[in-house]
Amino acid sequence: MEEFHQDTFEKDFWKDWDKRKTWDEIQPGELRTTVELTLTKEMIQNFARAIGDMNPLYFDEDYAKKSPHGGLIAPPSIHVMLMMICTPHDDWMKEPGTINAGQSWYYNVPARPGDRIRLVCKALDKFIKKERLFIIHENVFYNQNDEVICSGRGWTIRPR
Amino acid sequence: MNQNIYEEIEIGHVIDGPSIDVTKDMIREFAKASFDFNALHLDDKFMEKKFGKTKFEGVIAHGMMTFSLMTRMMTDWLWPRGGIHRRLETRWLKPVYHGDTITFGATVSKKLKTSKGQWILFSLEVKNQKGDLVATGESMAESP
Repeated sequence: MEEFHQDTFEKDFWKDWDKRKTWDEIQPGELRTTVELTLTKEMIQNFARAIGDMNPLYFDEDYAKKSPHGGLIAPPSIHVMLMMICTPHDDWMKEPGTINAGQSWYYNVPARPGDRIRLVCKALDKFIKKERLFIIHENVFYNQNDEVICSGRGWTIRPR
Repeated sequence: MNQNIYEEIEIGHVIDGPSIDVTKDMIREFAKASFDFNALHLDDKFMEKKFGKTKFEGVIAHGMMTFSLMTRMMTDWLWPRGGIHRRLETRWLKPVYHGDTITFGATVSKKLKTSKGQWILFSLEVKNQKGDLVATGESMAESP
């Protein structure tokens, strides 16, 4: 499985955009290729800061150690970041113009610094509504102990 | 800490969440922190195009930024009360543009006991400065 490297992560989502799968080519039920990563404290804290979430559970090791979590954790919404990291550059999710229409997520155990994160994901359904091309996708994030961190479903409108 | 929120909270209880001024910088910082560099959030020129049946008036905030802020409102409220945020479902109804001020709120809609847990359901709304709903959601929390 491919490994995430912060330095080589492609930020130009336009690069090779036309090689990504179109709505016609996306096959519901087919597993997508994913990227593994080791989650760091810095990534967690950058994400928390970006949403102004300064909960000491994400920043203060002593506080977190004494809490029921027994150590630093990530905010539940860390899957927002994990989704972009764990899908490779050529994944259709990264195509410019992809519109997010709705998502649902269930949270099981928190993600923690040092976790080895693995994503299993696929499109589940595709349909046309009000002339828009929809894909429903489902995603499950696991840690190194194969515990489910969270599982979610999303509705996206495809640009082509 | 450790109040029994399940017993104490009443249906209809309102949580006033934060009001947030959305700036281009904030959107850019969120793009960097979430590794979501979709041009919808960064490129004004790109946004002049039409997106099938959808048209935007400039760069928009990530829907998942609104989602993450909804999560923040819930964890901010639940954590000191011993509750655990277990689920969030959202629908985005209108784009959030830089320059918008978005205000978050939640209302307790239901309480339910199962064989192994106590659950509180919340109905969430996010409105812009015009009072338009930009996102709605349902959240489920587990109570001690």
